[in-house]
Amino acid sequence: MPNPETELVQRQLADHGYIADADISMSLHLARSLRKPLLVEGPAGVGKTEIAKVLARVLDTDLIRLQCYEGLDTSTSLYEWNYQRQLLQIRMEEEEKGRTLEQKEAHIFSEPFLLKRPLLQAITHHRPPVLLIDELDRADEEFESFLLEVLSDWQITIPELGTITATHIPYVVVTGNRTRELSDALRRRCFYLWIDYPDFDKELAIVRSRVDGIDAQLAEEICRFMAGARQQQLEKPPGVAETLDWARALVTLHRHRLDVATVEETLGVVFKDYHDITHVKQSLAEFLESVGVRSTLAQRGHTEADA
Amino acid sequence: MTSTMSPVPEDLALHGTLSANVVGFSRHLRRRGIGVCPSETAAALGALGCVDIGDEGQFRSALRICLAKSLKEQQLFDDCFDHYWRMWDRAGELNRPAPDADTGKAGRADTLPVQLTLREWLSIGDGATEEEEEETAAYSPIEVVTHRDFAGLQADELDDMSRVVEEFARALARRLNRRYRKLSGRGRIDLRRTLRTNLRRGGELVDLVFRSRRQRKLKLVVLCDVSRSMDLYCRFLLQFLYAFASAYRRLEVFGFSTSLRRLTPTLREGEWSHVLAGLSRDMPEWSGGTRIGACLADFADSWSESLVDRRTAVIILSDGWDTGDPDMLSHAMARIRRRAFAVLWLNPLMGSPGFRPETEGMLAALPHIDLLAPAHNVAALRDLAKSLGRLERRGTVRRPYAHLASSTENESEPQATLTGPNAPSSIANLRALEEESAFRTSS
Repeated sequence: MPNPETELVQRQLADHGYIADADISMSLHLARSLRKPLLVEGPAGVGKTEIAKVLARVLDTDLIRLQCYEGLDTSTSLYEWNYQRQLLQIRMEEEEKGRTLEQKEAHIFSEPFLLKRPLLQAITHHRPPVLLIDELDRADEEFESFLLEVLSDWQITIPELGTITATHIPYVVVTGNRTRELSDALRRRCFYLWIDYPDFDKELAIVRSRVDGIDAQLAEEICRFMAGARQQQLEKPPGVAETLDWARALVTLHRHRLDVATVEETLGVVFKDYHDITHVKQSLAEFLESVGVRSTLAQRGHTEADA
Repeated sequence: MTSTMSPVPEDLALHGTLSANVVGFSRHLRRRGIGVCPSETAAALGALGCVDIGDEGQFRSALRICLAKSLKEQQLFDDCFDHYWRMWDRAGELNRPAPDADTGKAGRADTLPVQLTLREWLSIGDGATEEEEEETAAYSPIEVVTHRDFAGLQADELDDMSRVVEEFARALARRLNRRYRKLSGRGRIDLRRTLRTNLRRGGELVDLVFRSRRQRKLKLVVLCDVSRSMDLYCRFLLQFLYAFASAYRRLEVFGFSTSLRRLTPTLREGEWSHVLAGLSRDMPEWSGGTRIGACLADFADSWSESLVDRRTAVIILSDGWDTGDPDMLSHAMARIRRRAFAVLWLNPLMGSPGFRPETEGMLAALPHIDLLAPAHNVAALRDLAKSLGRLERRGTVRRPYAHLASSTENESEPQATLTGPNAPSSIANLRALEEESAFRTSS
């Protein structure tokens, strides 16, 4: 018996061009109803970041994004005092005798002088936004524990201003590429979703919904090629992002079928590693054959004749 | 528990029973190694309120999202789920409030391998846990095993040892992470540049210029010898690298015997047993002969450009038994050394008292090594962090054996001049090494 609510989520996502399976729509449904952060992990290019974007569109709210990197600290993620503005303000008020020193100080440490960074923005937003914390595994462990504190208390203390409590609790999506194991404490606080490479049918549906004017046959061949490519021992297996790029590139080039020449020309769109490209190139004809692109040999004869 | 227990999940939803079952399931998961905490159980109950629990797919999916928090845990969850909830089906068939263990086991011995009854699931201690606890107690005095040479381990000590190795790898990674952490804040203010940039604003210090002290963490490239002569150590070294890789991101691992293979992606593939299978798939020539020179040359050709820079320490784990051309090895080492921040050679044989780096391979490589250290036990691996730190602070002589290079093969590489009273002279230095390693093993 299908759940009308998860089905609704699935349909809403599809309306915004995101093909979700049961697990994805279930976890979004739960994260939305219970307002818990959703931790999304999976290989590169399977649409982890996209989930947050599409969630924001479905909920018709704003997306606030915090891109993590090594060395990310509180001043870039939380808030910073607008030092320049404070200084100029002091300069302007120098002649003014009306206010006491304390008043002046309180003034320059008030909200207009506060530069809100994503985390503070998210909890003080006028309505619940989607907060995307992207690639948290790239940030240092210290930042992770700090984030944990914010995610559990929903309040931020600024020494000069006092404690700011969230006006709304945002919908949080945390993504990770597993370059570092995230802490257990963080995992336990979130719902967890693992997104793997899509199977053939799902990928086909994605390609057909996202690439306008694609030939049905070409879409199928592309998806079969990708599924086969991910079976190979590659340094960087291509993700869905690559599939879409490739499909769009082929549509732009007005290609309707895959053949050796076409694939060779556009290989750089799919594989992003020198070793992978050489590896695939070496046995391209056989590979195409093995993933069931039947016309390969005929096509090759054809292109050679053309040349 | 009353007769409401029946095979269909809908009935489980009847007051209290469902929550009791979810709590029991959480406890079951905990016993299987998924660290479910009470707040998660509560979240799971909340989640079940939002889905149609009559539908097994949804019921399962919701619990999985709430309780299993990594790919590994999801796999464990899948195993446990059927196990646990099928047991409820059987409990329904038995149709008694709390069937005792004996009846349960005897009655259904043929259906499923583990026939545990309700009471056992929900009670705290069963056989398995007690055993586990004993195990934990057994390997807690880490220091005892720390100094054991990997080679001399009994079969039953291997498991304990691998736990210890993993723990140390994580500790080492933590230490390296900490040591090279960027200073907190933004560093010191660069007064001179601050003044200069602010001159056009009439000298008002509006923009502060910071002296950036972003120290990048050290990158490590490990080349691990997996040839037959290293068999005894390989298992631990690879497991060490596996644990290390999960905690330290800036790490690349290669294996070599007769050819060079990149192992980094495989090492990050999840569970150790899975990784081990992957490694033997990646390295068909595992336990083969050794051609260190050719493999290092291959590394220098295809990888060192993209992976090795001035912030990269290259660590070679090998006994130096090379059947290839020593000139080739020496040449490859020189090339790698030129690009790298430091080259370390960890040799498990250094643990044995009579060790002298006299194999042809070792002698050819020595002039290009910044540090030669043992790697035969956990204590030696632990010293690695210290050694790296010392090299970072330039507290050691670089390439202490550089003068060993014969002048004929030493093309563009200038002879390093050794300074200071500690500069080793060839034979005396080897002696000292020998004594030091003997000291390490005895301590």
